[in-house]
Amino acid sequence: MLTAADYIRILPEIVLTLFGLIVMFVDPLLPEDRNVKPLGIIALVGALGAVAASIYQMRYAGPAFWNFVIVDNFSIFFHLLVTIAAALVIMASFEYLRVQEIRAGEYFGLILFGTVGMALMSSAVELVLIFIALEISSISTYILAGFRRRDAGSVESSLKYFLLGSFATAFFLYGIALMFGATGSTDIPQIASALRLNGAPLMAYVAFALIFVGLGFKIASAPFHVWTPDVYEGAPSPVVAFMSTAPKMAVFAVLLRILFVTEGPSLLVHSRPVWFWWVWASAAVSMTLGNLGALVQNNVKRMLAYSAIAHAGYLLVAFAAAPEAGISAAMFYAASYTAMNLGAFIVVSHFANAGERYVTLDDYTGLGRRSPLLAMTLTIFLISLIGIPATAGFFAKFYVFSAALKANLIWLTIIAVVNSAIGAYYYLRVIVSMYMRDATQEVPVMRVPVGVTATLLCSAAAVIYLGILPGRVLEFATRSAQSLLR
Amino acid sequence: MMPNFHLWLIPLLPLAGAVVNGLLGRNFSKRLVAFFGLFFLAASLGLVWWVAFRFWSLPQAAIPHTEVLAPWIVAGNFSAHFAFYLDQLSLVMMLVVTNVGFLIHVYSVGYMWEEGGFYRYFSYLNLFMFFMLTLVLANNYLLMFIGWEGVGLASYLLIGFFFVRDSAASAGKKAFIVNRIGDFGFLIALFLLIQHFGTLDFDKVFPAIAGQPVETAGAGLLTAIGLLLLTGACGKSAQIPLYVWLPDAMEGPTPVSSLIHAATMVTAGVYMVARSNVIFDHAPDALMAVAIVGVITALFAAIIGMAQNDIKKVLAYSTVSQLGYMFLACGVGAFSAGIFHLMTHAFFKGLLFLAAGSVIHALGGEQDMRHMGGLRKEIPWTFWTMTAATVAIAGIPFFSGFFSKDEILWKSLSSPYGSRAYWAIGVFTALLTSFYMFRLWFMTFFGEYRGSGSHGYEHAGHAHPTLASAKDVLAEIVVPAEFVSIVMSNMIERSGMVVSFEERGARTFLQASVPAANMAHYEEWLREHTNARGTWSERAPEEEGKAEVLVRPLAMQHERPGHIHESPRVMLVPMVILAILAVIGGYIGVPEALGGHNRFDHFLAPVFRTAAGALPAGTPGAGEAAAEGTAASRSETIATGVSIIMAFLGLFFAWLLYYRKRDLPDRIAAGLGWLYNTVRDKFYVDEIYQAVIVTPLVKGSALVLWRGVEVAGIDATADDSAATARSLSDKFRHMQSGNVRSYAAWVAVGAAAAIAYMIWMGVR
Amino acid sequence: MSGSAWNTWILTLVTFIPLAGAVLLLLFPRRERDIKWFALFVSLITFALSLHLPTYFARHQPGFQFEINIPWIPTPNIHYHLGVDGISMWLVVLTTFLTPLCVLISWKSVHERVKEFFILMLILETALLGVFVALDLFLFYFFWEFTLIPMALIIGMYGHERRVYAAMKFFLFTMIASAFMLASIIFLYAKTGSFDYVTIQNAVRDGASFGISGHALGWLFLGFFVAFAVKVPIFPLHTWLPDAHFEAPTAGSVMLAGVLLKMGTYGLLRFNLGLFPDQARQNQSWIMVLAIIGIIYGALVALVQPNLKKLIAYSSVSHLGFVVLGIFSFTQLGVDGAVYQMLNHGVSTGALFMLAGIIYERRHTFDIKEFGGLATSMPIFAAFFLFITLSSVGLPLLNGFVGEFLVLSGAFQAKMIWGILAASGVIWSACYLLWMYQRVFFGKVKHSVNSTLPDLSARERTALWPASIAALAMGVAPVLWLSFIDPAVHSVLMPLAQTTAQVVR
Repeated sequence: MLTAADYIRILPEIVLTLFGLIVMFVDPLLPEDRNVKPLGIIALVGALGAVAASIYQMRYAGPAFWNFVIVDNFSIFFHLLVTIAAALVIMASFEYLRVQEIRAGEYFGLILFGTVGMALMSSAVELVLIFIALEISSISTYILAGFRRRDAGSVESSLKYFLLGSFATAFFLYGIALMFGATGSTDIPQIASALRLNGAPLMAYVAFALIFVGLGFKIASAPFHVWTPDVYEGAPSPVVAFMSTAPKMAVFAVLLRILFVTEGPSLLVHSRPVWFWWVWASAAVSMTLGNLGALVQNNVKRMLAYSAIAHAGYLLVAFAAAPEAGISAAMFYAASYTAMNLGAFIVVSHFANAGERYVTLDDYTGLGRRSPLLAMTLTIFLISLIGIPATAGFFAKFYVFSAALKANLIWLTIIAVVNSAIGAYYYLRVIVSMYMRDATQEVPVMRVPVGVTATLLCSAAAVIYLGILPGRVLEFATRSAQSLLR
Repeated sequence: MMPNFHLWLIPLLPLAGAVVNGLLGRNFSKRLVAFFGLFFLAASLGLVWWVAFRFWSLPQAAIPHTEVLAPWIVAGNFSAHFAFYLDQLSLVMMLVVTNVGFLIHVYSVGYMWEEGGFYRYFSYLNLFMFFMLTLVLANNYLLMFIGWEGVGLASYLLIGFFFVRDSAASAGKKAFIVNRIGDFGFLIALFLLIQHFGTLDFDKVFPAIAGQPVETAGAGLLTAIGLLLLTGACGKSAQIPLYVWLPDAMEGPTPVSSLIHAATMVTAGVYMVARSNVIFDHAPDALMAVAIVGVITALFAAIIGMAQNDIKKVLAYSTVSQLGYMFLACGVGAFSAGIFHLMTHAFFKGLLFLAAGSVIHALGGEQDMRHMGGLRKEIPWTFWTMTAATVAIAGIPFFSGFFSKDEILWKSLSSPYGSRAYWAIGVFTALLTSFYMFRLWFMTFFGEYRGSGSHGYEHAGHAHPTLASAKDVLAEIVVPAEFVSIVMSNMIERSGMVVSFEERGARTFLQASVPAANMAHYEEWLREHTNARGTWSERAPEEEGKAEVLVRPLAMQHERPGHIHESPRVMLVPMVILAILAVIGGYIGVPEALGGHNRFDHFLAPVFRTAAGALPAGTPGAGEAAAEGTAASRSETIATGVSIIMAFLGLFFAWLLYYRKRDLPDRIAAGLGWLYNTVRDKFYVDEIYQAVIVTPLVKGSALVLWRGVEVAGIDATADDSAATARSLSDKFRHMQSGNVRSYAAWVAVGAAAAIAYMIWMGVR
Repeated sequence: MSGSAWNTWILTLVTFIPLAGAVLLLLFPRRERDIKWFALFVSLITFALSLHLPTYFARHQPGFQFEINIPWIPTPNIHYHLGVDGISMWLVVLTTFLTPLCVLISWKSVHERVKEFFILMLILETALLGVFVALDLFLFYFFWEFTLIPMALIIGMYGHERRVYAAMKFFLFTMIASAFMLASIIFLYAKTGSFDYVTIQNAVRDGASFGISGHALGWLFLGFFVAFAVKVPIFPLHTWLPDAHFEAPTAGSVMLAGVLLKMGTYGLLRFNLGLFPDQARQNQSWIMVLAIIGIIYGALVALVQPNLKKLIAYSSVSHLGFVVLGIFSFTQLGVDGAVYQMLNHGVSTGALFMLAGIIYERRHTFDIKEFGGLATSMPIFAAFFLFITLSSVGLPLLNGFVGEFLVLSGAFQAKMIWGILAASGVIWSACYLLWMYQRVFFGKVKHSVNSTLPDLSARERTALWPASIAALAMGVAPVLWLSFIDPAVHSVLMPLAQTTAQVVR
């Protein structure tokens, strides 16, 4: 019997859907050329409403809809993450849409619907529902990626993303099926108990493998990362800002749930989960390949794409570490990464100008003089991506590494540490061009509109807040981790 | 109750002078500069005399008397204080340093009057006095080291005083670095002392060592310390193998050569060895090393000295040789004899340089004795003072040098550490000494003048490559008008004309000695060649040509033999005083054998008592006792006779070769051929050092270390590793074909791997 | 504020006032004059406040003083823990002393983006001060890494031709090296559950091993060592230094030589000796050898540099070699000397870089061949330069001598041969510095440009006088400094006591 609580426990999703629909309905009523602002504001309100709803949920922790959904600190944490990310992207997109001549209605609508999927992913505990949520978010991002219709690159990126993405999700679906076959259930807690009680048949192992493939693809971890650079390069920058953060983090949430909830005695080898070495290797390779790849990129978007791969690697390090510390570290990392990466891509997207013309390092030369705001905020984000103290990135890495060391993952930590040091190089190159090189050609810098400014300041503030007073967020993450493991 | 002498004031007063002149001097009139320069030194001189008189009233027990001013370095349980150590030895040294120093300061006022940087000169000179007195008064090796390095600094500054001249600058640098090599040894010795005695204070170290057994059996700690100290002494006192800097040091102004490089600083090594007599007495091997270094240096330098034609170079090598004697004395345990010779040497060698300076001064920068001659009538005062000094150093009986040198020679024979070889070499060296000194004497003052009137000016160019041409001629002409110029300069100053004193100097000389008609031209010349900053004589080099233009006509005015002038009184007075000292200075230490009581020796005895105590029977002390025995006294008389004969023999040869038969020397030189050249070219030691040490070092550092290790090795490695990473990344980029099929393939491969891994995990 | 409150908050004030100043500058209009004067004002205030430390420091009371210790981050347990002992206190004062001079010396040499420059300078000061006062390992690393950004920007934005290369090299070298320190710190935390220096140190001294194997401890030691060795820099990790020094603007070089390098030696002393006495002992000999190589190698390479600034840079390698030598001699004298030498080097080499910058402003070159005879045209400049040169040569009664003497005698006690080899440094330094001085100042003026160079301006003299006076004071009255340093060093060496005993035999 459904109660009001059930609906409250999916309130953010409901809010988002509603506003998505509103956007769709209002869109045709507005003149083609002046519809960005109103629609944007509606979408923004929706997103913020979702944020509010997620906070409101806190008092309604618990299962809903016959245990298909669970609201706990964990889900709320990721709800906030994705919804806030959505809100920021929406805020930053106004100008972009006008410049790139993109249909606002569909754009905002898709972002809101995509967010529904992402939000659901973090709270769903039933594999089929998770699959559906994943598909919702994925499909909307597929389309968003191709939104710069006139640009062949954009279309290509969208297509690649779509083909490879559905290829991967197929693996995921197959994995679910096998898991059902192995345990007779698609409900994660039940799967866990089944595995605990009557051990794990080989089929379950394969199922895990296939689930990895599906999710590993979404988080762009090695060896399923290859698509990332092309897709990120082609897709519209705000979309990249979005899809490189929110959906990814949602998928991480799913991974955390599946891996740590189902982890039981039957799945332990030498007191390490069976998937341990896989994650270990995947993390190591992602970090290394990501950083190496980024080293010589002159296209900033492409460079950031590789950096995204590397960061997925760092995050996986946390997975390999001890459960509780690992989970909280991963969650903190997710938050910091969202803040800094989103911010970086927003700067890129605004600077790129019409048709995303200016995206190479040479374009960035002398930006420090021409637009102090863009340059300074981007510097903050990059410093954070490097992991310099007083920024979120530093603590994120710090927590991950310390979690890993607590679990005695000395070598993985060393690989990670050295990687993060090498990684400094390519982020620096951007800072260098902005401040230390004089402009090679005249690049027009558009006036920075309110929306973008607000977004940048918000994310910068977040980065610094997390970099100086990480305590509360981490505490929340730790509690969520506990709630997840309970 | 201990009397308080305020010993710290003795070094500090000259320092005050140095500071005043150094910071404010550039705006002072020369007169003021000279005043401060002399005043502070005079004050400390007075204080020294006062201390000297009070010293007699001190009870023996109160000697050594130390006064602690303040802590300097206190670290862990090691400490070194600014503390001063007064005993017979340091008293004697103080007296020598301050008195001779003061005289030479006075002399300098005259000699340097027309030089650029007059204030700089006196500031440096006072600075030197400060460090020298610190060295002498220190009560611990570390404070002594301050003075030790400090005098090195002063010498560096003063040798390089005419820094526009590369040779001068290089000479200064060379002196400093060679001394540093010696100091390296000194430092190590200090470390050893600290390690084993935990302190560097004389009044703690010496008793501690006195307690230890004499290292007769084999070389030990004390021997090591002794040898290392000797290294330091060799550097400072220009002994083999570190003597090379001293001859070059003659680049400095002549009074500097006289004060620093003859009378005081270079004797610091001797002082240090004498001060450390306890150590050396417990380390016979080290003592022997001192003697050998000394005697060899004495001979070697004397030989080179015979073949030099530059008057100052002769004196330089003579100094090295005489220092060798002092080392020999210390080396045979006759420290007081060494100090005695140190003192007399300060008188006559200081004087020799001053006199030489006066000669050079008179000849407008001429230093080559081949272009001198017959000067005794032109510059009688210089001649007579020079004569006094020459006979003194040559060891002609009853002049100071005779007593001190004779004492050394006798000890080198009679001391238990002595040997016939030392004595023989010493005596032979005495012959050479007397020869080259009289050679100098004859070549300079006798025969006919070999340098034409204008010679001086032409040669000025070579002798003083940069300054002489303008400066010396100028100086020479100004001399008579000197006091006028002092007055005038001050008048000009009071009249408020803001002009640098060099200009003033030039102006006054012009006013003094140029027909008004030419005045305008010179005024103009001055205006373009003097400015508020650059000093006139420093400017000279760039304007050398012009300078000649300036001096030529003046030179012409003086184009008559009589133009060679005696130096002004301000220079002559100190020379005369020193001359008197050079003559009678020896009488305070007449050896018993010559019917004296060797008061000097007895006075210093307490300082070296410990030494005596440590020695086996037949020590110098005991030696003296024995000396009263007739046998010993007879042999001493014989020895004395021999050295007297040697002195006169040298005089005779010099007379023969450089007065009687002037063509002979060249014939001999020709006859000796390469041998003569080798000696004249100082045995090519400098060239050898250059080739064996300096060049390899610089080349090696440049080619091997810098170009090789640094650039090609370390830097390259860093850059290469970066490049490698980039190229790797480049390769990795090709994984991104952009082709969907290949991407799908990657995913498939990954999936396969994942499945394989999990299955393997499952079936294990 | 009451005295005690002062003592609690003084370090916080001193550390963060520059940062506050930087933030205010951010809001300033771009009027260069005001900016400069304000920066100068802030740095002077900081200096004045920092003098509170030596004034109220209780010399003989062991341990850290002016401590403040409040929780910062609950998980992991990170505290805002500041405090100084006789060693770090003087490094703090050195930093606050040099910064105003840097501001003065940059007055004219910085033409564009003036605002940014002084903001960066002040941020840099805060970061540096933080490094010296932090007593929480995490906090220490926090500041340690934070120094990189402003320094790299100063080099890269205001440097000379190859500034970007130099900035990158500087950043990456130190970054990569300190990554190992981070790993070590985290590992230490994972095992000890604390970042607090004092806590861990006491535990270590009481022989607690926290179940860390000796093998692991060895690695931890190296982890810290690498980070510090690159910073010092110890041969052969010094390759970034000459580039950074050469390319940096004058103020940058001064800060780099004066303070940044000291972070490394300070770290060695504080952490490698303080936390891993046994490992330090085991690794002593090869580190000493590297230090000696550094001393001689640096000097010989400096000897043949055709370039004034590079020469000074390599001289730093040589001088820092002395410091490392002293630290790893584990003797009271040696470590005292090492600490003192840190301060000396800060003053002397800092001043040398200022002087080099002054002549660069006039001639826009560092090429020694371009100079010669400058003593004729710029006598005052020549006098200052000579004075500083002598202090760096280690002339008695100037600062350099005291440090070198103590270091060498310490090394000598540790092992005779080390002392002897290292002591040869006194010869080398005389060689390269005096030769350089001769080529720059003596001889005739070869290039007519040089004959009309203006001598020091009042501002330049104001910047040079303090350094010169400090050099003299530190040479004449080292007691003033050593009396603070000595006890602190003593407590550092306590756990190594038996080591020294063994070594001295």
